[in-house]
Amino acid sequence: MSIDIRGLYKRFGNFTALDHIDLKIPAGQLVALLGPSGCGKTTLLRIIAGLETADQGSIWFDGQETGSRHVRERRVGFVFQHYALFQHMTVFENIAFGLRVRPRKQRPSETQIRAKVHELLALIQLEWLAERYPSQLSGGQRQRIALARALAVEPQVLLLDEPFGALDTKVRKELRRWLRRLHDEIHVTSVFVTHDQEEALEVSDQIVVMNHGRIEQIGTPEAVYDTPATPFVYQFLGNINLFHGRAHSGWVRLGGLRVQAPEYQDAQHAPAMAYVRPHDIDLLREPEDSDSTLPATVNRIAILGSLVRLELRQTSDGEIAEVEMTRERFAADPLQIGDLVFVKPRHLRVFLQEEAATEASVPMHWHGDGGGI
Amino acid sequence: MMPPQLRQPSVLPGFGLTLGFTVAYLCLIVLIPLAMAFLEAFQLGWREFWSVVSAPRVMASYRLTFGAALLAAAINTGFGLIVAWVLVRYHFPGKRLVDALVDLPFALPTAVAGITLTTLYAGNGWLGQFLKPLGIKIAFTPTGIIVALVFISLPFVVRTVQPVLEDLEAEVEEAAASLGADRWQIFQRVIFPAIRPALLTGFTLAFARAIGEYGSVIFIAGNLPMVSEITPLLIVSKLEQYDYKGAAAVSVVMLILSFILLLLINLLQRWNRSRQA
Repeated sequence: MSIDIRGLYKRFGNFTALDHIDLKIPAGQLVALLGPSGCGKTTLLRIIAGLETADQGSIWFDGQETGSRHVRERRVGFVFQHYALFQHMTVFENIAFGLRVRPRKQRPSETQIRAKVHELLALIQLEWLAERYPSQLSGGQRQRIALARALAVEPQVLLLDEPFGALDTKVRKELRRWLRRLHDEIHVTSVFVTHDQEEALEVSDQIVVMNHGRIEQIGTPEAVYDTPATPFVYQFLGNINLFHGRAHSGWVRLGGLRVQAPEYQDAQHAPAMAYVRPHDIDLLREPEDSDSTLPATVNRIAILGSLVRLELRQTSDGEIAEVEMTRERFAADPLQIGDLVFVKPRHLRVFLQEEAATEASVPMHWHGDGGGI
Repeated sequence: MMPPQLRQPSVLPGFGLTLGFTVAYLCLIVLIPLAMAFLEAFQLGWREFWSVVSAPRVMASYRLTFGAALLAAAINTGFGLIVAWVLVRYHFPGKRLVDALVDLPFALPTAVAGITLTTLYAGNGWLGQFLKPLGIKIAFTPTGIIVALVFISLPFVVRTVQPVLEDLEAEVEEAAASLGADRWQIFQRVIFPAIRPALLTGFTLAFARAIGEYGSVIFIAGNLPMVSEITPLLIVSKLEQYDYKGAAAVSVVMLILSFILLLLINLLQRWNRSRQA
């Protein structure tokens, strides 16, 4: 079942939660809605489900207008962050709920219900918990039960609202791999909301990056990570080093660095920002040319499993930069704290600063972004 | 085998002290006064005791007292639930006022309630004058007793159900709706089971309060022997005739009946909980 969202608009009082969202989700895909809190991703999901109504716009399931239908007629499976299981029912009854509340004519027989519930319990590998109550289960088990309950009604669309948000890191990782495998088995069109970029990158076929009620970029995890469309996407997915400079006639000058930027041929001393991922930087012992490397000293070395993360302090202005490399590469030429190195960005992306810089000359600075992988 | 231990090691200190205090307090406040009633009553001797407590007039008063209390508690369970529901689920102007109004029957002297209700429902009262042509008499009948009991026991169900309703996650209802349940099914299968224990507690409190009610009832009841005379009134009238032993005997029966009924409801509550793990 494909989902087609057209011109969706939603306000809560003075707050614009969704600002004219257009989105097509092809049948059978697992799509992540990714963004910081308050970006409208959960609102979008709830509107798709019918738990919330949009002020403007329409939603189409397989070419059928669905926006005006009640949630119970939409046949969506909804999974909540805090499970929302029925506390007074056993696991079995929780899963059977959707079948038992059907109108008498469509309701399966008791034997069919039993068979269906056991089939689902087998799918989530929790058959031995059928007679337990939700309060006796762990968070991960509860969320799997919630998923089985949603799948019992054979939904056209599966919607998950931060499904692993309330779980600890280890269980969360396990469960998202499990969700991916499950999706490969049952192929129901699924949309899940997350603020965790790693989760989105690992699990989904497509990522929809949202910010301030708008879609910033739609693409495969690879595309979104490697070629971010906007500065926001660059910053939100993965760690970055950011520095400021100016673009002029196809070149960008960033402090001591001069980089070709043919896309800004027409720019005249326009304020620009450049983004470099920590793993897109080479460290040299000797300077190459005067304007393709920057001198810096090694400030800190952290060994993170298979990766080594170096914190550099730039010689010219003392700004901090972060560089990541593999263990092998680090071992080939081990650096020590205090060593002088020359920083050479392998890959860097320049965006013009939309709002004109308030200060006449923005000092170039490297800037390691904290919230990363 | 280890001997059974009353005291279990615990990080919470003060078990001995608090248990001792609890027992002493309950003895002083509840047990000793009640034991006095029993002592007084059993001075009568078994045969006389039985003839006092099983006299037709007394029997009629038990039926009326417990019947009216049960009915009033049942009525309040239904309507109290609706009041609690409205107070929790909807926002409307004057909601705080309505919320405060619920507690008024707690604070009002019961005699005031009785007199007010009687004036209201008497044949020439504000409401009574409209009911009279319809052939409905409320004041000075058993119906009047029920009205008074409903009034004084209103807050119990509302106040016990309200917090539970407030704690109910909206998400659980949304989950039920997304699974295809209609409003009635959501209430019946999701909300009601969650509030059932609180509802039962509210019912029990209202019932217990209604059994012992005296002040408001005597004004509206008319107090006709065999028709609208409640047991507490009978006890008071025995006291007024210096028949202390007879009064104690009737009290003891009332106590035992109340205790059995409350125990039954508690067992029901426990059974209800055990089904929810």
